[in-house]
Amino acid sequence: MGPKNFIVAIVMAIALSAGIFIAARLQAPVELRTAFVLPAPTPLPEFALLDSTGNTVTRDTFRGQWNLVFFGFTHCPDICPATLQILAAARNEMAASGQDPLPRIVLISVDPERDTPAQMGRYVDYFGDNNLGITGSLEETLKLTSALGIYFEKQPGDEDNYAVDHSAAVLVVNPDAEFHALFSGSHLIENFVHDVPLIMAGG
Amino acid sequence: MRIAVAVAVILVSACTAEPQPPLVATDVVVTRPVPGMQMSAAYLSLTNNSDETIRISRVVSAQHESVQLHESIVKDGIARMRAIPVLEIPAGETITLKRGGKHLMLMRPTGAADSVSLQFLDGDNLVLAVDASFEPTTTR
Repeated sequence: MGPKNFIVAIVMAIALSAGIFIAARLQAPVELRTAFVLPAPTPLPEFALLDSTGNTVTRDTFRGQWNLVFFGFTHCPDICPATLQILAAARNEMAASGQDPLPRIVLISVDPERDTPAQMGRYVDYFGDNNLGITGSLEETLKLTSALGIYFEKQPGDEDNYAVDHSAAVLVVNPDAEFHALFSGSHLIENFVHDVPLIMAGG
Repeated sequence: MRIAVAVAVILVSACTAEPQPPLVATDVVVTRPVPGMQMSAAYLSLTNNSDETIRISRVVSAQHESVQLHESIVKDGIARMRAIPVLEIPAGETITLKRGGKHLMLMRPTGAADSVSLQFLDGDNLVLAVDASFEPTTTR
């Protein structure tokens, strides 16, 4: 990640945080537990990445359904599988309580060097049906992450043994392919089960 | 969920009058790799019943090429993973390795196994041996 992209990401993150803070103040008291709904949904930028079969993924791929979007990488033994398990369990609980439609779980790789489309597919399929794994070029990944204020940075290490620091947030992307709401920080199943249906219902 | 039973064999016990082993492992959970991957994680609590700090500088698994002590840290919205050079368990205290925190990264399984045998060492000294079964797959 170049210094320019890093600065852009930081600026976006600060702007996003300010927006979220103002939104939280304006909407108080909110019924949501941990999610912040953006004051105005932000359209996803133009980008071209790949799904698990190698088909092109653009912002239009997000249209038509609600999406819970997490940024991570498959060479990640702890946080990434734990977060996907939480999202999958939350979706199962939502299904059990009659939520319809259900959100799609999307994992976008912050390690495009190692994460092939097929690997992303196997990875997300492990956590349930209808999940979407996205990877592609670093350049196209940065188009998306920079616009969304998502930070990631490859850490020093061996060629096949390195970590990638990344934003821990789960983003809610609405059926109009707009960044709609945000879950930051520590993720709990019950918070998603509580907040996601409210967000989808226009909460 | 976390009913993986750990059999802890304490091999460092100089004092035979001491009824409690110095280091005890509980709540051991070992995950299987996601399909196609070569890494998973192990979590457990380590309780130091002795009067001295116990140091764990490395962990080996009979079923993996490599085990690394790691810590996931989520701070200011950023998830990071860092190596822990030495895990110190102060006298009388319990250190918990858990999801999203300290954990063992198990790398490159050497074959299909139903359980994992872990050895916790301070340098070349064996401090604790733990056998644990894999947690059941609960995601699907």
